[in-house]
Amino acid sequence: MGRHVICRADELQPGAVRIIEAEKRSIGIFNIRGDFYALRNTCPHKGAPLCRGIITGLAVSDEPLQLRITRDGEIVRCPWHGWEFDILSGRSVYNPHRMRVKTYDVAVEPMAEEDPSVETYPVQVEEDYIVLYI
Amino acid sequence: MEVTRAPDSRKRVREKLFIVDTDVHHGFESWSDLYPYLPQVYAERLREHGGSGPSSQYWHNGGMRGRRADFLNADDLLESTRRQLLDDCEIDIAVLTGSSAYGACGIPDADFGSAICRAFNDYTLEHWVARDERFRVAMAINTQDPLGMAKEIDRIGSHPAVIAIIMPGGATKPYGNRVYDPIYEACERNRLAVMIHFNGEGVGINGPPTAAGWPSHYVEGRMMRAPVYMAHMASFIFEGAFEKFPGLRVVNVEAGFAWMPWYVWRMDSDWKSLRYQAPWVKRPPSEYVKEHVRVNTQPIDEPENERDLEQIIEWMHGDQTLLFGSDFPHFDFDDPRKTLTRLPDRLRRRIFGESALETFPKLQPPG
Repeated sequence: MGRHVICRADELQPGAVRIIEAEKRSIGIFNIRGDFYALRNTCPHKGAPLCRGIITGLAVSDEPLQLRITRDGEIVRCPWHGWEFDILSGRSVYNPHRMRVKTYDVAVEPMAEEDPSVETYPVQVEEDYIVLYI
Repeated sequence: MEVTRAPDSRKRVREKLFIVDTDVHHGFESWSDLYPYLPQVYAERLREHGGSGPSSQYWHNGGMRGRRADFLNADDLLESTRRQLLDDCEIDIAVLTGSSAYGACGIPDADFGSAICRAFNDYTLEHWVARDERFRVAMAINTQDPLGMAKEIDRIGSHPAVIAIIMPGGATKPYGNRVYDPIYEACERNRLAVMIHFNGEGVGINGPPTAAGWPSHYVEGRMMRAPVYMAHMASFIFEGAFEKFPGLRVVNVEAGFAWMPWYVWRMDSDWKSLRYQAPWVKRPPSEYVKEHVRVNTQPIDEPENERDLEQIIEWMHGDQTLLFGSDFPHFDFDDPRKTLTRLPDRLRRRIFGESALETFPKLQPPG
């Protein structure tokens, strides 16, 4: 159980993913419209690097042969066999109650950082950082 | 001293099995048999030009013109069927699956094809159904005329003996396609099941028999039956036909069954990967199959070890999905007295009769 400071919040843009190593785990951190989520980067199906898959929406149908996309950007489709997972919950689309991938808590926390460009007087700048909790 | 003899427990008296035979081939002997049931324009066309329905019969087939060589009387198919099949094999209900009109679906003139199907249906009711109460009918359908055939289904679909429609495996589009919707709507209205029987692949306007082209020999052609049914089954599921028509029941006739477990597993796997392309498929394909799709037993599959059949039947939920068919009078006929005899009685009762009663909404046990 650890706290890991990942990067400044503005270094991971909406729609993007950053894959990091922490405590011997590969973990993907996603920015979805300004909110951050973390998934284990291992597909429970065959161990593929899940978070390197296509980030997409959820295809739904109200009647046969009609198709629309909802929840744009909230689904990751595994790069190997296409299994879909809800980035927010880690649950698979095809069987959400039984097939899921591990999620982790992510927070955005302001932190003080000394500005090295100012030599004469010590100055602290407050910045938002993405922090992962395992 | 009085000796009471215990009943011999080794001697098991088998109850007479209730048998529904889901594949009994009937037909007409000559095109002229249909003249009385055809509009004059088509009767004249047949008289002037001869029977010209495209058919798969350019192949050699087996037996004597496809039939058992010990067939009783080639001139009286009806009487031979009653005696040699229904009586001798103790069939309670025989579903007549035709064959004579399958080629109508491949005739480029759709109206001519539909007229042949209508005529054959009337001929069947008058010459077969009226002559033995054990007969039920899978009525002939011209698949290239869905609107016309919806009317045909409404015309005779309420006849008590009509329990299904039958469509040949050969087609211009696989059967889950929306072009067939009027047919399935009519089947739901009339509580009919949909049967598919191998035939018509690569003839007339239908697609080639395999994507690898035309096989030379009949035996090669036999090997492509299951793939044809696989194409139709995927179409029914992934076109959402079972979502649109919850009452739709599809019976695949005469392609064996051992291919089913593998195929259903394959569809489930690929659905997990590609679900997003057809999200109207709400459940794993295996669940639709269990509810909507049936296969018949003929020609019976023969693994190296016959006991393995029970495992295959378990994999495919054969207590629900497998229906007996004899294919009488064809040369590869399966006699119910010699078919699946190693299975437990409980399973035999399901396959030989009970499951058919659940599959065909209108089918009632006799008596």
